[in-house]
Amino acid sequence: MSITETGTRARLPDSSGYAITPDGLRLYYEVFGRGDRTIVFLPANPISHSRLWKAQIHYLARHFRVVAYDGRGNGLSDFPDPATLWSNRFYAADCLSVMDVTATRAAILVGICTDGVFPSIQLAASHPERVLGIVAIAPGVPHLTPRHPNRAKAVAVYEQVLDSNEGWFKLNKHYMRGHYGDFLEFFFSQMFPEPHSTKQIEDAVAYGLDGSADVMVMDEHDPVASNKDQVEAICRQVRCPVLVIHGDRDECQVLERGLLTAELTGGRMVKLEGKGHIPNARHPVLVNKLIADFAGDRTSPQHANIRTHDKPRALLISSPIGLGHAWRDVAIARELRRQVPGLRVEWLAQPPVTTLLAQCGEIVHPASAELAPEARHVDAESGQHELHAFNMLRRMDEILCANFMVFHDVVSQEKFDLWIADEGWEIDHFLHENPELKTSPYVWMADFAGYLPMPSGGEREAFLTADYNAEVLEHIAQYPGLRDLSIFIGRPEDIVRKRFGPGLPTIPAWTKEHYQFSGYVLPFKPKDLANRKQLRRELDLDPDSRLIVATVGGSAVGVHLLHRIVEAFRILRSQVPEAELLLVCGPRIDPNDFPTVDGMQATGYVHDLFKTLACCDLAVVQGGLSTTMELVANRRPFIYIPLRNHFEQNFHVAHRLRRYGAPPPTQYDDATPERLAAQMRRRLGARVTYERVETDGARKAAKLIAPLIKTT
Amino acid sequence: MLTAIPREQTRARRPDQSGHVERDGVQLFYEVYGSEGPAVFLLPTWSIIHSRHWKLQIPYLARHFRVLTFDGRGSGRSDRPASGYYEREFAADALAVMDATSTDIAVLVSLSLGARWALMLAADHPERVAGAVFIAPSAPLGKTLASQQPYLWDRELRTDKGWARYNRYYWLRDYQGFLEFFFAQMFPEPHSTKQIEDCVGWGLETTPEILIATEIEKEFDEQATRGLCMRVRCPVLVIHGADDLISSPSRGIALAEATRGELVLLEGSGHGPHVRDPVKVNLLLRDFMGRLGGK
Repeated sequence: MSITETGTRARLPDSSGYAITPDGLRLYYEVFGRGDRTIVFLPANPISHSRLWKAQIHYLARHFRVVAYDGRGNGLSDFPDPATLWSNRFYAADCLSVMDVTATRAAILVGICTDGVFPSIQLAASHPERVLGIVAIAPGVPHLTPRHPNRAKAVAVYEQVLDSNEGWFKLNKHYMRGHYGDFLEFFFSQMFPEPHSTKQIEDAVAYGLDGSADVMVMDEHDPVASNKDQVEAICRQVRCPVLVIHGDRDECQVLERGLLTAELTGGRMVKLEGKGHIPNARHPVLVNKLIADFAGDRTSPQHANIRTHDKPRALLISSPIGLGHAWRDVAIARELRRQVPGLRVEWLAQPPVTTLLAQCGEIVHPASAELAPEARHVDAESGQHELHAFNMLRRMDEILCANFMVFHDVVSQEKFDLWIADEGWEIDHFLHENPELKTSPYVWMADFAGYLPMPSGGEREAFLTADYNAEVLEHIAQYPGLRDLSIFIGRPEDIVRKRFGPGLPTIPAWTKEHYQFSGYVLPFKPKDLANRKQLRRELDLDPDSRLIVATVGGSAVGVHLLHRIVEAFRILRSQVPEAELLLVCGPRIDPNDFPTVDGMQATGYVHDLFKTLACCDLAVVQGGLSTTMELVANRRPFIYIPLRNHFEQNFHVAHRLRRYGAPPPTQYDDATPERLAAQMRRRLGARVTYERVETDGARKAAKLIAPLIKTT
Repeated sequence: MLTAIPREQTRARRPDQSGHVERDGVQLFYEVYGSEGPAVFLLPTWSIIHSRHWKLQIPYLARHFRVLTFDGRGSGRSDRPASGYYEREFAADALAVMDATSTDIAVLVSLSLGARWALMLAADHPERVAGAVFIAPSAPLGKTLASQQPYLWDRELRTDKGWARYNRYYWLRDYQGFLEFFFAQMFPEPHSTKQIEDCVGWGLETTPEILIATEIEKEFDEQATRGLCMRVRCPVLVIHGADDLISSPSRGIALAEATRGELVLLEGSGHGPHVRDPVKVNLLLRDFMGRLGGK
């Protein structure tokens, strides 16, 4: 009884001892580390012993309590009398003996091949309370498939004395007795088909030689299961999570067995391409992560692929409500990649923003598909040209919580070097509520600060908005470093001169203290869009028409305004026959729902709408910040009609537009078709005197963010 | 002041299956979310609110587990019989929902009064209960809060102050006043307006008569509770707010002791931590499931 040391041990056991099996053998075990959860490594005896797991123990023992033991017939455990009969029933019973003596009530069982995996499945079936989960590496659950074809002929003559024993014919009772070392060398060379596996093969052969050929070839009796039906029945009883890890170049167990094992036990399958039978030895980091994630319950089935990124990665969470938001985030992402070479930006976003991102060639993280949709909620909360933005956000608590949890799952499974949330309300709120969940540098961006009550909401709304503001202010005061950076998309003068609420600071004073200012972020350079005739030709629009563009953003709330604009245009057209109207309905309104009117064309989603707006003679729009600011930047006349009860459009945006010299908002209630037509006629092609919009906002924002990304 | 029941707000996730199961002539409305993994059964609590109070748990849990909810009798879309609100009725209802949804075994998650039927299920049907999480349990162990002690529920009182509103005559006189008081006590955390409004709105969907029936038919006493606790064999997690103004934290502590369960006391939390501090509670639930071997 011995163990060949194949190097200096990375970690010595914290305790060790012997378990006694029901039939009186002593089994040597070792215990490493501490933790709520125990991982038990089953041996692949008698061909190997517990050192098979040497590449796993040090790492996993830092996170879990780890128990490893030598099975009967190898290592420091007793060897059975070769004259007796071997039973595969020993495996599960021996594992229980070790669990009992180490006071392991329940554990995650990790094993390899037949001798290490099938017993864990039996235990999960017979003692479900003792098995929290199973990691089945290269599982050799018997009878599920025929044996590996490479040895079919050899197995048929296993008991016979052969004239010569080449290749798999070394797997022969008589040959192994006399040439055990040679058998082991052949066998393990097959087990590690990966190049550069010399050390792994040497180790495995050494561990094999610590055992004995006589034990290896003992006659068996009393099988656990003697046919496929029995084996399947046992597998189907497994209720605990199962992770199957199987190399597709496994020369011992065919991949099909792994697939069937996963299927029968309801487990998850990770196929390792180009890898052999013993990936825990040959690819320990990969296997360690898989085991740790599984044992720590950190991986959801969708993201089984393990990637290593040596380049910095940022996760950008973009609020899906405004498409203009997305454009500015794209501009910032592009500028960030310019400033941080190699930076990979991935997006957690949802429709309609994902459509835009896809067309921009941005990477949408697959977990985005799991986000609860906000657009549906916005539509549900909308009335006739009305969106009570504060109530809408407030009534989104369930969606916000659900989506934070998706975010949390993503960042717990994958390492990002930076999180950026552009008005990702759930991220900012729940991180402040749960500051221990912040594990990366975090940037917050917003274009306004302060929920403001609409007059229609009375005292109650004034109280509620103040309470919400107070909560944000308290969050920031309590965890001043949680946001590594807060960026205000705009200038200090853009901040409304109001208070957060009674007894609370003024919004400008507090915001100046807690934010950095990037200036406005445009997704284009106005001078690139200044030649309007050329732009129209590029967009297939008549260069000489008097073009009115009407647009209402990415939600369905604008449908009533569009209808009103159509009616106004009918009137206008009778007075200005050369006027044309392009109705941009966006992704959620059907352009076919509008009547046919001379000079009018209706269209759905337009990708780079800012170009179309840049060459119009008049725009009629809602009060969203991005669209209106882009019109200011391109110096186009426009009429904007804020959504009723939308505090951001009515206060924050209107204030900023006033500062840039834009005309005051038109109220929807005043905008009858007749009045709107008159206003359109006055403004069509009018000269404007706006203040210039800064063009370096994206660069400034990126310059603020870039130092937070650690590059190595 | 609320004047009307607000329309239901957009859900983050809709049920994959829903329906009614009838037991003893009472129709019970249930929902099932997700189909993967072990089952989590979010039990009803006192009929003052219905299953929507789990709205911040469902979308997350359903991404990892199969989630069951149902409206307790007297609430939501379930029937409101005039009587029959004994704890054992709720336990039997829960089993009927498990049967109707082919749920052999589940982890039970209960709030407040729901602890009572959760205990009955765990003690009497151990083969169907893989584990039990008690949030702010309200079973007669530990202490009654001093603020609640002076007032008799069943007697006309001369005052409407504080816990004097926990009184059948007051409920009939000013039901909304009671709801607003009660849920303000439930959420002592600052900035809980939305949570309070939600609960008051749900409370207005039932009637004071129903609540009176539930109060009359409470049967549990300390001895019965301890007897049940002794028989609980599954893993137990108790989550209790240290600032719970409705069910004393000593109740959660005593329940964890009696069931040999794990205790998490949340500092600064009131009686509805799963509503007011959902991320924390969601992660505790997921972690508990994970330790049971949940996927």
